[in-house]
Amino acid sequence: MAKSIFELNEVYFSYLNKIPALNGVNLSIEEGSRSAVIGANGTGKSTLLAMLDALVFPRRGSFRAFDKEMSENILNNDEFCRFFRGRVGFVFQNPDTQLFCPTVKEDIIFGPLQLGVAHNEVVRRLEGVAATLKIGHLLDRSPHQLSIGEKKKVAIGSVLAIEPEVLLLDEPTAGLDPQTTRDIIDILIAQNKAGRTIITATHDLHIVDEISDVVYVFGFEKKIVKTAPSSEVLADQNFLQEHNLIHIHRHQHKNLVHLHSH
Amino acid sequence: MAENNHFIERSLMAVLVLFKESIFSEDCASRKGFLQARDPRVKALMIFVLLLAALFSRSIPFIAGIYGFCLVLALVSSIDILFFWERTLFFIPFFSLFIAAPALFNIFTPGEPLASFHLFGMAVSITKQGAASAGIFFLRVLTSVSLCVLLALTTRHSVLLKVLRVFKVPQIFVMIMGMCYRYIYLFMEIIQDTYTAIKSRCGNISSSARGRKIVAGNIANLWRRSYDMHNQVYSAMISRGYSGEPKVMDEFRAGLKDWLCLGVTLSVFILSLWQNQYLN
Repeated sequence: MAKSIFELNEVYFSYLNKIPALNGVNLSIEEGSRSAVIGANGTGKSTLLAMLDALVFPRRGSFRAFDKEMSENILNNDEFCRFFRGRVGFVFQNPDTQLFCPTVKEDIIFGPLQLGVAHNEVVRRLEGVAATLKIGHLLDRSPHQLSIGEKKKVAIGSVLAIEPEVLLLDEPTAGLDPQTTRDIIDILIAQNKAGRTIITATHDLHIVDEISDVVYVFGFEKKIVKTAPSSEVLADQNFLQEHNLIHIHRHQHKNLVHLHSH
Repeated sequence: MAENNHFIERSLMAVLVLFKESIFSEDCASRKGFLQARDPRVKALMIFVLLLAALFSRSIPFIAGIYGFCLVLALVSSIDILFFWERTLFFIPFFSLFIAAPALFNIFTPGEPLASFHLFGMAVSITKQGAASAGIFFLRVLTSVSLCVLLALTTRHSVLLKVLRVFKVPQIFVMIMGMCYRYIYLFMEIIQDTYTAIKSRCGNISSSARGRKIVAGNIANLWRRSYDMHNQVYSAMISRGYSGEPKVMDEFRAGLKDWLCLGVTLSVFILSLWQNQYLN
């Protein structure tokens, strides 16, 4: 049986102690697995990813990562902090928050440098990431000169350069054209084949089947209401509609008007 | 009323265009040219040494010579000379001419008269010493501004920031400057988009009072957005292992040509000190 990386048990979290974001979440993620987190807007997906990346901590309940109970205190330990940050990579929803350096190259090498990776190894990783994501021609550009698709690829590259065991991705394909979406799906599949654990929060149901084996569905009550294989979740149209994940689409073929879910 | 509206729109858009063109355009820095090919650290040192030479020298022909050298450097660095003058001749040197103008007259600088005339019944003359002081002041400002613009035009801003480290500027400061540079552009785009959105919903803003209210509201909104973003950016930094001490990688490589150039500029500086001594 595969080792569990993350364990969440009855986790509660609220912003400013007022605005609830997670309301009794139970979750277990295994090493090397592919998971998708889906749910309507504001149901807690991004907060869950932020918690898995130890950027926020439970107000109540237990969050364990790599067999350690997670808290702000444990991350004050430099050794553990470096261990954790080197193993978990988070691709934020908005690439403009992730790409904060003056050039793409500096953004990609930022993570490895902060984690104390040797300079020649940093250069090797930079070249590797640039080749894998086909972004070599962008390295000297400033992030503000990139298209949204390029920004997303560079944001993924900035995390891959850390060579993490776990990749957390918040809406990696939102607002992208079909080809860039395809490129990103291929990158995620390749990363999982290389042994990385992939956890993706998304609204794009058409990519869920390809990038996940298990799907966690967040409900309006800000907790996981269903955990099931992706094929099973995607087949349950009524359930998806109930949770704002699909809608009934009406359109016309010549004189025939028909309805179907989207 | 419509004039007020156009005034707000024109000012806002003109400022944004000016920012984008002057700060973020890297056309000149991307061209192949003499200064673009130099190691940025050596280039910054060269400009610094030339600045010192212009500041220390008290000879008009010598400072004019440095200015001439600056123009030659601009030409061999694929910079259109008219564009270069447009960037350097107006504003600062122009205003410095106004500041230096009183020094021309015998009221402030007594000496050998060059030209005399009557002003409000008073005999006033332009003195040789006054003309020399004003000329040196104006030339120094013009040369200094031109040298700085030359450095800014031929070096990518991100590289220019890295060069600050050579001058022992703390890394955290360099990093904050880099992030400012990165996010000013983003916020400028937000301002532009917001203004377009307002225009598409409200059409022309009917009064200046309403215009001011909208601008004030947008300033507050932008501040809130920047506050939110700073939290997210900090999280993104923490997530990639940042622990308060930024670590960087130096990639500069200086070659023989770079050191030769630095040698030439150092010679110019020594010459400026020597000719000061000689003139005294």
